Amino acid sequence: MLRDITLGQYYQTESVLHRMDPRVKLGGTLLYIISLFCFKNFWGYLIAVLFLGCVIKLSKVPFKYMVKGMKAIIVLLLITVVFNLFLTPGTALITVWKLTITKEGLKTALTMALRLTLLIIGSSVMTLTTTPNQLTDAMEKGMSPLKVIKVPVHELAMMMSIALRFIPILLEETDKIMKAQIARGADFESGNLFKRAKAMVPLLVPLFISAFRRANDLAMAMEARCYRGGDNRTKMKPLVYHRNDFIAYAFIFVYMVASITIGRVF
Amino acid sequence: MGIIKAENVTFEYIRRDEEGNVEGITTAVDNVSLDIEQGQFIAILGHNGSGKSTFAKHLNAILHPTEGTVWVNGMNTRHEEDVWDIRQTAGMVFQNPDNQIIGQIVEEDVGFGPENMGVPTKEIWERVEESLKAVGMYEFRKHSPNKLSGGQKQRVSIAGVLAMHPKCIVLDEPTAMLDPNGRKEVIRAIRALNDVEGMTVILITHYMEEIIYADKVFIMDKGKVAMEGTPREVFSQVEKLKKLRLDVPQVTLLAYELQKKGLPLPDGILTTEELVQELLDLKNGNLERR
Repeated sequence: MLRDITLGQYYQTESVLHRMDPRVKLGGTLLYIISLFCFKNFWGYLIAVLFLGCVIKLSKVPFKYMVKGMKAIIVLLLITVVFNLFLTPGTALITVWKLTITKEGLKTALTMALRLTLLIIGSSVMTLTTTPNQLTDAMEKGMSPLKVIKVPVHELAMMMSIALRFIPILLEETDKIMKAQIARGADFESGNLFKRAKAMVPLLVPLFISAFRRANDLAMAMEARCYRGGDNRTKMKPLVYHRNDFIAYAFIFVYMVASITIGRVF
Repeated sequence: MGIIKAENVTFEYIRRDEEGNVEGITTAVDNVSLDIEQGQFIAILGHNGSGKSTFAKHLNAILHPTEGTVWVNGMNTRHEEDVWDIRQTAGMVFQNPDNQIIGQIVEEDVGFGPENMGVPTKEIWERVEESLKAVGMYEFRKHSPNKLSGGQKQRVSIAGVLAMHPKCIVLDEPTAMLDPNGRKEVIRAIRALNDVEGMTVILITHYMEEIIYADKVFIMDKGKVAMEGTPREVFSQVEKLKKLRLDVPQVTLLAYELQKKGLPLPDGILTTEELVQELLDLKNGNLERR
């Protein structure tokens, strides 16, 4: 049962966006997210919607996959909307019992909802078209200027990719230990929250021990294959910009200019 | 001096209590000497705790001997500056395939070693292709390692070592966690490497069936080399093997029992075909005599 979980939500298909250099996608998404929080009028959001629409069209990923990501934050979205709606002081529009909806409240609530929706859909476009592996690579390469201030960029990227590799293995192991403990009479399902948390102890202890053992083995195997950190290392799949990537950068630049001039970012 | 030479190697595990006082010393490897020539297929055999895995880790400079010296291709494993060259010369495959695959895609894992060595990108791809072909896993190059069987994973691990272009490959119980089919797959791949590519192979195992193809067998017990010789020489001493709590292959045991009952069979029969042939010869010989 636990094996079915997939991390990230990569959608396999052939599109311009899938082939694009992950650095472009990462940078673009970042700029897009920042722009969402800087817009001062509704025109800015219109541009963001247009931009997002183009990108979704290019990605060839069915729209329902993007909406799937929304399900996870629907509660958060509702809470934000409700709080903003009722708790923003200003000129009253409607008063029901003790709750007042103000004009300002309505405006903030709508803006917030729009922002969050665009944010989630925008970032799922990135995760749907980029494998976790490519993302790690992009982060390593993109953050490499930070090496100057002694940020262990390569090590962080390596840790991330190893974590990704071991998630399914540890999930499988959890499944196995769980079954073994159930066979010995362990009960993971009944009781209150406190009781259930306590029942997790016989699951977590063996899992941690085995994870440490695996880490030890893996470190030895990596050393045996001459791993000695990021220095002097070459790449099997180096990130190289192609023509399409420059076009994409130009496209992002146009978006940026448009949002600054029309969306009044400054 | 051969590709690998060990001289009076002793390794002690020191157990300490909480204050750091020595509680006890376990001698895992005790005064082992051996000399391995380029191109040989060597098997090191022993039951659990015989020190065979500890010894294997010396060949890759993961452990350093307490006493004695190990040379790999003329380099002393104690010399810090040679460590990476040693690991490149004597590649190592470990027991658990899950814990030694680093990449999330087969080809990326095989490329990990060359990447670390600073091999140019184009050559990495060539090496990856040739290594995966050598173990027969080329068509799986785009797969995730999690979806492969144990035998396939272990073959990927072997390819990962091959891509570093080692002179010698040390396999530390590569088949211990595999099912019989996976075991056969891996042993076939290892033998092909030795036969076709002339790779020096050091196979550490506790399965008797796996060593019959070896050029030379070392049997370890309590950290010492208890027996050494060709598989035939080793298997001819059934009583001694039994004393070392090692199982003799069924055919060898059958031949031994028949021999004890008075059939004039030669010592150390290793395969079923061999026994069948000997028995047929005996039968025909008897008929001729009649």
